[in-house]
Amino acid sequence: MTEMEPYEAGIDRLLRRSMDAPAPTLSSDFEERLMRKVGQESAGLDRYGRMVLTGYGLASIVVSGVVMRAQGLGWGTIAVTILGPLALVAAAPRVRRLGQMQ
Amino acid sequence: MVETDSQLVARAQSGDQQAFAELVRRHKAQVFRLAVSILGREFIPEAEDVTQEVFLKVHNAIASFRGEAEFSSWIYRITFNQAVNLKARVRFRSPHADETALYDVATPEPGPEQRAEVAQRNQALADCMGTLPEVYQSALRLYYWLGCDVGEVAEPLGVPENTAKSYLHRARQILHGMLKEKGYSCD
Repeated sequence: MTEMEPYEAGIDRLLRRSMDAPAPTLSSDFEERLMRKVGQESAGLDRYGRMVLTGYGLASIVVSGVVMRAQGLGWGTIAVTILGPLALVAAAPRVRRLGQMQ
Repeated sequence: MVETDSQLVARAQSGDQQAFAELVRRHKAQVFRLAVSILGREFIPEAEDVTQEVFLKVHNAIASFRGEAEFSSWIYRITFNQAVNLKARVRFRSPHADETALYDVATPEPGPEQRAEVAQRNQALADCMGTLPEVYQSALRLYYWLGCDVGEVAEPLGVPENTAKSYLHRARQILHGMLKEKGYSCD
């Protein structure tokens, strides 16, 4: 109870009486629905992220190929320059796993 | 051992959904209570939507939470802004329940004339409340409707207890003046 001026007692009583109703609560399945939505949004973001990354990767491969070709490199060299680092990146997790197993 | 909010936030920031779920469990009732206190009785389903939106926002932005303020203060600030924005949007839409219905529950006065008088006064009270600043309305609903003590009013509003007390005092003072001006007695 807060300290009140004498005139406040009347309005306090009125407010107390007028708002004497049960307090609402959240639906019992609120948490379940929320976590489902969180999961859906995360999956959506992951999918979007993968799409953007794939698009970026493909575009950079094409641009690199065109630029290197314009500089007079052969297709073999271009393929090694592009696919070599890709193979290294793809192999890195396997190499690490093998290292952990040993 | 019970983990602190900061520990749970750190885990949630590294993608731990269990930690985020625990934060939801801890704060959902207070977030909903604050949303309801701003939106009022007419928009309880919207208050639940606000609660859901708040946690989705928190989930999306948790990586950027630096911990400079308490997690609860952060989440209450988001709730307050979200609910006030929604209230501005739904103001002209017909409510699910008339707020004066809230005031009809406890009216023991007998007789149709007295009942009509009480109903009129309650309508006037609801109208006057609607003109108060948001923080005053929220403080009044938290205190009188949702049964919070002054500390529980202060926390979600992000103010010290003395400020919450002064919100309540000032709100009562304004309401008293407004009702008197409209010719209603508060006794």
